[in-house]
Amino acid sequence: MFGAMVRVSGLVAVVAVGVAGAPGTAHAGRTDFGWLFGTETMPERSVELQTWTYEENGRPGVRDETSLWWGPVIGITDQLELSLPIEATWRAGSTAEPTATPATFALTDYGVDLRYRLVRADPVTAGPVVPLLRVAVKRDVDTRSAVVTEADLIIGYQRGRLHALLDAGVTGEFASGEHDVFARPGAGVSVQAIGDLRLGAEVFSELQVSGGTYRWVAVGPDLAWTHGRFWLSAAFGIGIYHMETAPRITWGIAF
Amino acid sequence: MGHRLLSGAALAASLVAPTAHGDPAGGRVTGTVTVVEADGTAAPAIDAIVYVVGFPEPADPKAVPAQIAQEGRHFVPDLVAVTAGEDIIFPNNDPFLHNVFSQSSARKFDLGSFKKGDKKTAGFPDPGVIDVYCNIHPEMAATILVLPNRRHARTSPAGAYTLEGVPPGEWTVFAYTRRAVKPVSAKVTVTAKADTKLDLKLVRGAEPEHLNKFGEKYKAGGPTYK
Repeated sequence: MFGAMVRVSGLVAVVAVGVAGAPGTAHAGRTDFGWLFGTETMPERSVELQTWTYEENGRPGVRDETSLWWGPVIGITDQLELSLPIEATWRAGSTAEPTATPATFALTDYGVDLRYRLVRADPVTAGPVVPLLRVAVKRDVDTRSAVVTEADLIIGYQRGRLHALLDAGVTGEFASGEHDVFARPGAGVSVQAIGDLRLGAEVFSELQVSGGTYRWVAVGPDLAWTHGRFWLSAAFGIGIYHMETAPRITWGIAF
Repeated sequence: MGHRLLSGAALAASLVAPTAHGDPAGGRVTGTVTVVEADGTAAPAIDAIVYVVGFPEPADPKAVPAQIAQEGRHFVPDLVAVTAGEDIIFPNNDPFLHNVFSQSSARKFDLGSFKKGDKKTAGFPDPGVIDVYCNIHPEMAATILVLPNRRHARTSPAGAYTLEGVPPGEWTVFAYTRRAVKPVSAKVTVTAKADTKLDLKLVRGAEPEHLNKFGEKYKAGGPTYK
């Protein structure tokens, strides 16, 4: 190790010119945000296990929920990743008569989730603006005839320590003769604080545009942290419209 | 990466002082690089890179990208110099998967795992020293010198080198080989259309240990996925 410690005396000055503001390596399909999808993808043939846990509390007329998304994420190419999630949801019970209901916990969906980064995976050569497309198709376990589809266009902008992101998402739930469509717009900023710790804020919403009037908006702080093969991101959404709190934590571990 | 600390104040000064550009009509710096082991014995013929810093110069847009192949569980060659702005191609010539990654502060990247016949490309826009490894085979290591100008050369098997087109002036010339205990350097005064002779001697050390792309020690024996 001594050799490595001293061998760079002639090179380090050259290095010092180059490293200021250099972005980190693309490190699995992580996101710097809680509710928003990121623009990184897994390196080719890499595999990661991801878990999302999120809550929606205090919506008018809707039982509180805690949902779980769990699945492997596979780097098909450096720009295309595939995940195979299964999702489950706990719903709070109600003691209000005459419609008292017990709490439930059930498998809700499973399916396929594809994310395609439209520029090179290498952050150094990709440029500051990174678009990513996400498409997911899931089977609704409870309503056997229903299919859930999700699509997102995510655009990230990276400059030095700053990462800004827009996530324009839409969800469609299609059953025989019926459909509900939700827009999921969101935006956030994240700043590299210390080492692999990032801090930021984001706004996220779910707005039903067809089939009903279900809508909520939350805004709050977020953080992201990477340590070796592990990363996590979290946000604490404070409801500003038809929502009290919407915390969310996402983590991944690469193999 | 604490060992990447600045310790060459003289070189730091050379990076900000006189700005000139590589000049085909400039002077030449020629000489020989000898490499010895830490115990003083002569090392077998080993590639070394000789370079001069102190002035920037754009990469040659017509330059053929350098290659670092993965062959026989080694990077070949294991020492490459490029000018900032150039790409390096990493072809896998082995009949099993390889990965290419760097956690060097100057340039972090992970090219994923790829099979025989596939190749990946990485760009190197900024000067620096970059250690490259395979996450699957811990015995594989290479070093990339990304230099601020095109005035760099690889030594011949006999250790001879020539730096062409060095602008007239006083510069610091460096030589480096993989596992060198430290680069060696010397000041030279270059005169237009004249040769300046400079011989350099490098001391080679042991291969330093490195960690995998997650910052962990490799498992004993290292995984090998065929």
